[in-house]
Amino acid sequence: MMKKICRFLSPLLIAALVLGSLPVAAAPHATPGSDLITTEAALNAERGQTDRERIHEILARDDVQQQLVAQGVDLAEVEARVAALSDEEAAQMADQLDQLPAGANIVGALVLIFLVLLVTDILGLTNVFPFTR
Amino acid sequence: MTLRRSRQHTHGTPWNARSAGVLALLLLMLTLAGCATTPHLAESTHQRLPRQALIEDVPFHAQRDYQCGPASLAMVLNAEGVDVEVDTLIPQVFLPGREGSVQPEMLATVRRHGRIPFVIDSRLDALLTEIDAGHPVVVMQNLALPTWPMWHYAVAIGYDLDDNELILHSGEEPERIESFRRFDATWARSDRWAFVALPPGALPEGIAEDRAVAAISAYERVQGAAATLPAWEALVERFPRAAMGHFALGNARHATGDALGAIQAFEGAVSVQPELAVAWLNLGLVLRHQGDLPAARRALERAADLPGHWQPQAREALAGLQEEIRS
Repeated sequence: MMKKICRFLSPLLIAALVLGSLPVAAAPHATPGSDLITTEAALNAERGQTDRERIHEILARDDVQQQLVAQGVDLAEVEARVAALSDEEAAQMADQLDQLPAGANIVGALVLIFLVLLVTDILGLTNVFPFTR
Repeated sequence: MTLRRSRQHTHGTPWNARSAGVLALLLLMLTLAGCATTPHLAESTHQRLPRQALIEDVPFHAQRDYQCGPASLAMVLNAEGVDVEVDTLIPQVFLPGREGSVQPEMLATVRRHGRIPFVIDSRLDALLTEIDAGHPVVVMQNLALPTWPMWHYAVAIGYDLDDNELILHSGEEPERIESFRRFDATWARSDRWAFVALPPGALPEGIAEDRAVAAISAYERVQGAAATLPAWEALVERFPRAAMGHFALGNARHATGDALGAIQAFEGAVSVQPELAVAWLNLGLVLRHQGDLPAARRALERAADLPGHWQPQAREALAGLQEEIRS
């Protein structure tokens, strides 16, 4: 009995979800209050972006928002920070925030590393210690 | 690459770990030393640029803790006329979990402060050209080695071609002098990533058309059409053959209530690229708003004839218009 209900319900649920997500995909194609095609939509189409990628980029912003909170960013700032990213940057942040280099000026302070960096500094390959210049 | 090969090699032989380590280290050094030479500048760069340049009025903000990102941003924004403090920028760009700032957010923060971030070509020539044009450049360096990175942002403000030296506001040191060779070795490890923060209406000297369009469009998304209008105007002046530039200008003009200007810009777009369906479509739609139905129909017919992404929408608009004409 339960199985039957499930079999009957799941296509309906899938259809509802798909239809529900369509406005999200369609929304950015028009600016509010006008029916012109936006520059962003035209550029995306020119890049050959599919609707699936488009949805991915929209969802990416939510994802980045959560990641920024997890990284300790002030809640009051998170929304504005995400809003200032381009679609491409948001997707990049969502997919690989952990691997993105973060400019910080810190380095692990093991002795071996210290010696290697000292030599490479003297060779002029790196720039860690001010006294080698 | 060399390091990995030597590791595999020592795996099967009875060498002790120390000699293997020393060998690996030596090989690593040799590989790296092979890469680091004074970067070569194009002959045209030597002819074009003055021998020395220094942007005098870039304020220096010493970084505190790991905050070279916010400090570099403050320097470049101040120099471009934005009055903002490092303390304001820290919560906007610093990632406490990473104890640093990532590249996309460096660009995003520039947008929030009303300047357009343009990532410039990854060549020393492009960097020096921007300095000569009076624009300080934020550069990303890895001051250490790829294996133990020490990522760092600094602001390049001057150079000397006779001494092969670059001048940077970096870390806790204003006007630090770095040889081109050492700078390029550390800069190359970020794939020579660098950007300028320009007011709307200014463009970097050697920027490619598509990069400029993308940068301005990203700015428009944050700051709106009115603030972005001068940037689109500058773009079509620099690249008169950029159909997407004319198209974007048309949209920005339309959004700020300048319908006639928008029509002109869309006409510009289709005159340089007659197969740009989306421009015919918007041209037709604006003409229809303006009540010029015959001209609107001509434009929409062109759009509806062109196969591609916008054809369904163009056909729909054309059908709507024909109904309006009939009634």
